[in-house]
Amino acid sequence: MKQNTYLLLIAILILGISCTSSEDCTEDRIAKMGVGFYTRALTDTLRKVYTTKAINLDTLSVRGLAANGTLIDSILYKSKTIQNIYLPLNKFETGSKFVLTFKTTKDTIEILHTNTDYYLSLECGCMKVHSIDTVLTTTNLIDSVKIINHKVNATNAEHVQIFIN
Amino acid sequence: MYKYLLISLLICFVASSIQAQDKQEKKPEVKTPNVKWWDGMTLQVDAASIASSTLLSKDIYSVEAGAQIELKHKYLPIVELGYASVNKTSLEDIRFKTSGFFGRVGLDFNLVKKKKDAKLSPNLFLLGLRLGMTNATYTINNMAITNDYWGAGQVLSESKLSPTKIWFELVFGIRVEVVKNIHMGWSLRNKHLLTTDKEGEISPWYIPGYGKNATSNWGFSYTVGYKF
Repeated sequence: MKQNTYLLLIAILILGISCTSSEDCTEDRIAKMGVGFYTRALTDTLRKVYTTKAINLDTLSVRGLAANGTLIDSILYKSKTIQNIYLPLNKFETGSKFVLTFKTTKDTIEILHTNTDYYLSLECGCMKVHSIDTVLTTTNLIDSVKIINHKVNATNAEHVQIFIN
Repeated sequence: MYKYLLISLLICFVASSIQAQDKQEKKPEVKTPNVKWWDGMTLQVDAASIASSTLLSKDIYSVEAGAQIELKHKYLPIVELGYASVNKTSLEDIRFKTSGFFGRVGLDFNLVKKKKDAKLSPNLFLLGLRLGMTNATYTINNMAITNDYWGAGQVLSESKLSPTKIWFELVFGIRVEVVKNIHMGWSLRNKHLLTTDKEGEISPWYIPGYGKNATSNWGFSYTVGYKF
C-alpha cells in the first residue's frame, strides 16, 4: 500500500510538470512579401547569356499607395544601402501598390494577390497569408520583375526579384 | 507507430498465453488457483477529472465513469463514457467553447502473475489500450485580424463546428481493493490523436476525453469503483 502511495505521488508530479505551459503567443503572425534587388549583366554576347547579381541600392524609400491613389503617410523603408525589403500586402484587398523612390526616380509596383485566413492557435488567433498572382511595374528605373515564390506566409523568404537597369 | 504498438501488445498476449500453457504442461501436479472465466464487473468513476475540474482549472469541467469486466483474472475489457465542457478565453480575448460527450472502449491486461497454491490477488497491475471518440461541438469567437499598415481590420468567428475526433491511449496503472469490493486505482495515459487537423484550418483547443489538442498528450485518472 505504501508503494502505491509513492507511485501515485510520482504520477501526480509528472502530470503537474506536463501541464505547465505558456499562454503567450510566440509565433510570428505577419506575412510580408520579400523583395530582392538585382541587376542583369550580359556575360556572353554571342550566346546572349545573362548573369544575375544581387545589388545594394544607394538610396531607397518605399510607401504604400492606397486604392484611391493617395500615398500612405507611413514610410515603410528609408534607407541608404539596402538589398532586400519586406512589404506588408493588404490583407483585405486583392491588390497592393507600392511607390519605390530611388534617389529621384520613382517606380510603382502593383501586386495582385489572394488572401486566405490561416489559423495558428487559440493563443495567437488567425493571420492572413497571401498568394501572389501577378506583379506589374512601371519601368523608369526598374527593368523587370520576376515572381520566384508565390506563397507569402510568416517566413522571411524572397518572393519577388526586381531587376534594375 | 500503430503497427509496432499492436505487434507489441500481440507479443505480450501470446507470451503470457505460452507461459501459462508451459506451466500447466510441465507441472501438472501443482494446484493452480481456481480462475473463473467471468470474475465480476466493476463500475467506477474518475475522481481525478472531478478534482481537476473543481480545484485546478476554472475553464475545464470534465467527468467520466466506466464499466470494466474481468475475464480469467487477466483480460479486462472496459467502456468509459464522459462529458466535458470548456470555456476558455485567451490573453488576446479569443473565446473558445466546447461541450460534449466522449467515449472509449479498450482492453486491459492484468500483469500480476498467478502464484501457485495461493489465492488470486484482487490487486491488479494493468497495461492496456483504449480507442476514444468524440464529436463535440465547439466555437471560436473574437479572432481579430489587424491590417496595421493599410488600415481597417476584421473579427472572425467560427461557430458550431463538430469534427469527429478519434484517438488511442496506452494505459498503465494499478487497481487495489481497499475495502471488500471497493476498488481504487490510478492510471497514466499516453494519448495519440488519429484524426489530425489540416494546417491553417480552425481546430478545437480542447477535445473532450483527449485533452488539449496536440498530436500526443498525457492524461491521468484516479478511479474509485465497486465490484459486483
